[in-house]
Amino acid sequence: MSEQSKDVCDPNFTAEPSNSEVYGSPGVPGGPSPPASQAATLAGPESPPLGPTDASLALPPSQAPSEEGDPKALQQAAEEGRAHQAPSAAQPSPTPPAPAQLVQKAHELMWYVLVKDQKRMIIWFPDMVKDVIGSYKKWCRSILRRTSLILARVFGLHLRLTSLHTMEFSLVKALEPEELDRVALSNRMPMTGLLLMILSLIYVKGRGARESAVWNVLRILGLRPWKKHSTFGDVRKLITEEFVQQNYLKYQRVPHVEPPEYEFFWGSRASREITKMQIMEFLARVFKKDPQAWPSRYREALEEARALREADPTAHCPRSSVSED
Amino acid sequence: MVPSYMQGSTRRVGIMTDVHRRFLQLLMTHGVLEEWDVKRLQKHCYKVHDCNATVEKLEDFINNINSVLESLYIEIKKGVTEDDGRPIYALVNLATTSVSKMASDFAENELDLFRKALELIIDSETGFASSTNILNLVDQLKGKKMRKKEAEQVLQKFVQHKWLVEKEGEFTLHCRAILEMEQYIRETHPDAVKVCDLCHGLLIQGQSCETCGIKMHLPCVAKYFQSNSEPRCPHCNDYWPHEIPEVFDPEKEREAGISKSNKKPLRSRQH
Repeated sequence: MSEQSKDVCDPNFTAEPSNSEVYGSPGVPGGPSPPASQAATLAGPESPPLGPTDASLALPPSQAPSEEGDPKALQQAAEEGRAHQAPSAAQPSPTPPAPAQLVQKAHELMWYVLVKDQKRMIIWFPDMVKDVIGSYKKWCRSILRRTSLILARVFGLHLRLTSLHTMEFSLVKALEPEELDRVALSNRMPMTGLLLMILSLIYVKGRGARESAVWNVLRILGLRPWKKHSTFGDVRKLITEEFVQQNYLKYQRVPHVEPPEYEFFWGSRASREITKMQIMEFLARVFKKDPQAWPSRYREALEEARALREADPTAHCPRSSVSED
Repeated sequence: MVPSYMQGSTRRVGIMTDVHRRFLQLLMTHGVLEEWDVKRLQKHCYKVHDCNATVEKLEDFINNINSVLESLYIEIKKGVTEDDGRPIYALVNLATTSVSKMASDFAENELDLFRKALELIIDSETGFASSTNILNLVDQLKGKKMRKKEAEQVLQKFVQHKWLVEKEGEFTLHCRAILEMEQYIRETHPDAVKVCDLCHGLLIQGQSCETCGIKMHLPCVAKYFQSNSEPRCPHCNDYWPHEIPEVFDPEKEREAGISKSNKKPLRSRQH
């Protein structure tokens, strides 16, 4: 198995998306696919590729984001897009690749998605096509489907299309109970702690947190805007740029204030991924107090939790979509 | 859902249960973990999903998961930190080189900077490349022109992503990068790369014999010369001229860690 990389590694490792050419070369088999392989047995009958899944399709913006996620919604989007667009100029239809190559692509996509999620980066469909799928665009749907199946079966993760409009995917845990696994290890991910600190400050204030207030809080952790930190690096850049890029925070100028001041708000991704109850639990842990020490915030968190339960009673039983023996 | 690793079963491949899935999720989230964190993680996953089952021995637990991962060309790999011999685990991709995996997250000039730093590290005597020497190469980078100031930040980005580690202005490979990229490094630098005389693994930092030039990892030295009052080079038998490090003791480490964490609850550990 160690021979795999000889075929696919580009020793000069240029950053151009020549990955697709390297992986897609016809002579390269997908490697030994042992019949007992889990992934291969998930294949099922190969459904014919359907419609252009070209990332440049103009999707009607009024499309409501589908929460069903997974390739089914994307296929619908592709079909809708096709209806709105004249079929592209006749392209010679390439010979379908060997199933082993599609399997290999699915594995690459699986790893790509896992790494993106690990780095808290947005999983964007056009990037998936550009960086991994490449010339196999036409078989994107079956590749995506296989990847989703593997992720569900092996990792217990749902590859979910969170926003049809922006074509963003995210990896959602499909295991119950849903809980902050961060508590499993006391040396939790430092980024999370830092982010939660800022989010909880904003939450407790009930409005945007001025940058000066945020730095007062971070000073407790020994973080200063001008000092580089061994783990976080440039903290100011992290919170004003990276967290903002990842949509965890919003960093905006305070209107009508001179000299200019800035404040932080919760980003859309934070609102999606982090519940108010989690913030209360974080506060309780850090300050060693009962969450009810912040009574109005605690009430809000309770209400949000109830609303979430009512809105999606199936949230804790996602097993139905995972193929189990 | 009962985990069944039936001996003598016709199925060679292990069976994934929620215990394993959660374990994989968390291992992936953390990137690289030390052994005692991995054990705690394992216990946590059992507690959450299957409290009554006996916690399987870590080695078997991981081997079972790896048998499922094999067909996906990924694996939970075990390694040892070069400086102090801590056992570490990471989920690594075997099919592609990690460098091409990085390709989608970094610009062309950033990747080239990493490659230049990597070469300096491999060629160096100590396994470390100074910030100055790396930054002096910015003019030779492929792609968009990069200023030294920018390059400093890119190097920090590599540190944050656990590809490089910085110590007093010098850079070496993070243990995670060594785990993931060992094969790639050996293939792309077949002449320059150093190898440990004892374990035959890739060597970035280590001790060398001043007579015959062979090199050994610090933890390999520690184990080989343990309780040996007259350490001699395994190759040329000359006296081993360096201080013999201590063998890593997880028990001692844990006690030290507990007393440290009592003082500073919010401090995150290195790695």
